[in-house]
Amino acid sequence: MSIVFLILFHWLVVLLLAPFFIGVISKIKAFFAGKRGPSFFQPFFDLRRLFQKNSVYSRTTTWIFRSAPIVNLAAVLVLSLVVPLGFLKAPIQFSGDIFLAAYILGLARFFIICAALDTGSSFEGMGASREAFFSCLCELALFMNFITLSLLTHSISLSSMIGAGIPVSWKLMGPVLLLVAGSLFIVILAENCRIPVDDPDTHLELTMIHEVMILDHSGVDFGYMLYAAAIKLFVFVGILIPIIFPIQSGNPVADMLIFLGGTLGLSVTVGIVESTMARLRLNRVKNLLLLAFALAFFGFVVKMWRM
Amino acid sequence: MTSWVDASCIIIVFLSLIVLSNYRVAAMIRVFSVQSFVLGLLPFFLHASSISNQDVFIAFVTMVLKAVLVPSILFWAIRHVSMRSEVKPIIGFSSSIIFGAMLIAGVFWVSLSLKLPGKPVSDLILPCSLSTVLLGFMIMVTRTRAVTQVLGYLIMENGIFLFAVSLSDVMPVLIEMGILLDIFVAVFIMAIVVNHINEEFEKNTASVSQSKMGETF
Repeated sequence: MSIVFLILFHWLVVLLLAPFFIGVISKIKAFFAGKRGPSFFQPFFDLRRLFQKNSVYSRTTTWIFRSAPIVNLAAVLVLSLVVPLGFLKAPIQFSGDIFLAAYILGLARFFIICAALDTGSSFEGMGASREAFFSCLCELALFMNFITLSLLTHSISLSSMIGAGIPVSWKLMGPVLLLVAGSLFIVILAENCRIPVDDPDTHLELTMIHEVMILDHSGVDFGYMLYAAAIKLFVFVGILIPIIFPIQSGNPVADMLIFLGGTLGLSVTVGIVESTMARLRLNRVKNLLLLAFALAFFGFVVKMWRM
Repeated sequence: MTSWVDASCIIIVFLSLIVLSNYRVAAMIRVFSVQSFVLGLLPFFLHASSISNQDVFIAFVTMVLKAVLVPSILFWAIRHVSMRSEVKPIIGFSSSIIFGAMLIAGVFWVSLSLKLPGKPVSDLILPCSLSTVLLGFMIMVTRTRAVTQVLGYLIMENGIFLFAVSLSDVMPVLIEMGILLDIFVAVFIMAIVVNHINEEFEKNTASVSQSKMGETF
């Protein structure tokens, strides 16, 4: 009973908070463009509007296309269960849950890519190919970071990898965590199709990766996709926050404020990066992702060296 | 302050990696400038308890010379030869990053058996300075543009400087200043030479091919 309650509460928090931070990013971008910007709650209004609509399906598509948004949303919701959110402990934790986390992401991506191919549009096929390539490189960096973190904390459970061991590690292994944080930040930008890699706002064909794959989804399905993207960003930020702000006071209210403040800060940072940087040319994106890998590898080397 | 020294060392190597992976010369020069700035801060972190006049002097000269003057000369040089990007490196950008990462791993492994005289403030200084030297060297050999090769040379020198700063207790400040002056003069001469090469051949790669020379004359 209690575990069910914990899971439901975790989901409630994730579902309520995730779109809000997308709103924060848009607000920051609007601010840099000299505009007032939509309200922080605009993503909620967008989702409500989409959920009231019907979906339109092309006649060439099959059940794969229809299932992808649901699988995607379900996958990120399961993913959110293994990630502690500051004041909320992860409801599901076991040794090796990082692999679950990484491959749940892989499952979601697999279905999106299949759905994109299912439409039979060459345009979406191109996006699927790009997504597959870049996420390959992303996963490399992500796993390198996980290896380093698990060496630091002697654990392969996400909750303890980014849990109590981190403050001690900052004292002994500050440089390593600095590198891991930098690398994870690039991974966050790439995985969530933020600006130096992909632009979540435009539908220009030249550099779009993720956005092109969800072009054919409409109505409720599109809403699911957007919701899943927001939750994914929130969950990734939830992984990075305990590394950057390793403060655990034990007081739930203080922890919650630290976590929310950190998430807000990180969203603002993402917004600033998006406003000040130009999108990379497509054939340079792989350099950025390899740089993230090199950072993670560098962290790993320093960790091994300082044993 | 050891953690600050550690962080600076890591940032310096990281910035060298960024230069290695970058293809726009202007961005490379800016990153180099930031790297020199971090390097200029290092004497304060190293002797945080007792900052002497010598530390302030070294930091000041480094910042003015390497973070402001040298980059502005380089900017002047690329503006005059209207060169904006590194086109055909001998080793591609992606492979450069992978090789760079391997180089760093190798250096850290080798540095396990290198022992410095005296007690350094941070044990990261030696491997990080060696990594920066080697990454700079790699930029120098794998890039084909004259300006990017000079940037490699400068980054290499930053690595040596990082090492020298950590030994500033035993190393006379005069020698460091001499090295800095050499660097400055070298960059100055390079800028003039690049301009002259450009005027002569309308082509600013370091390898002026035989056939091209035949065409020019």
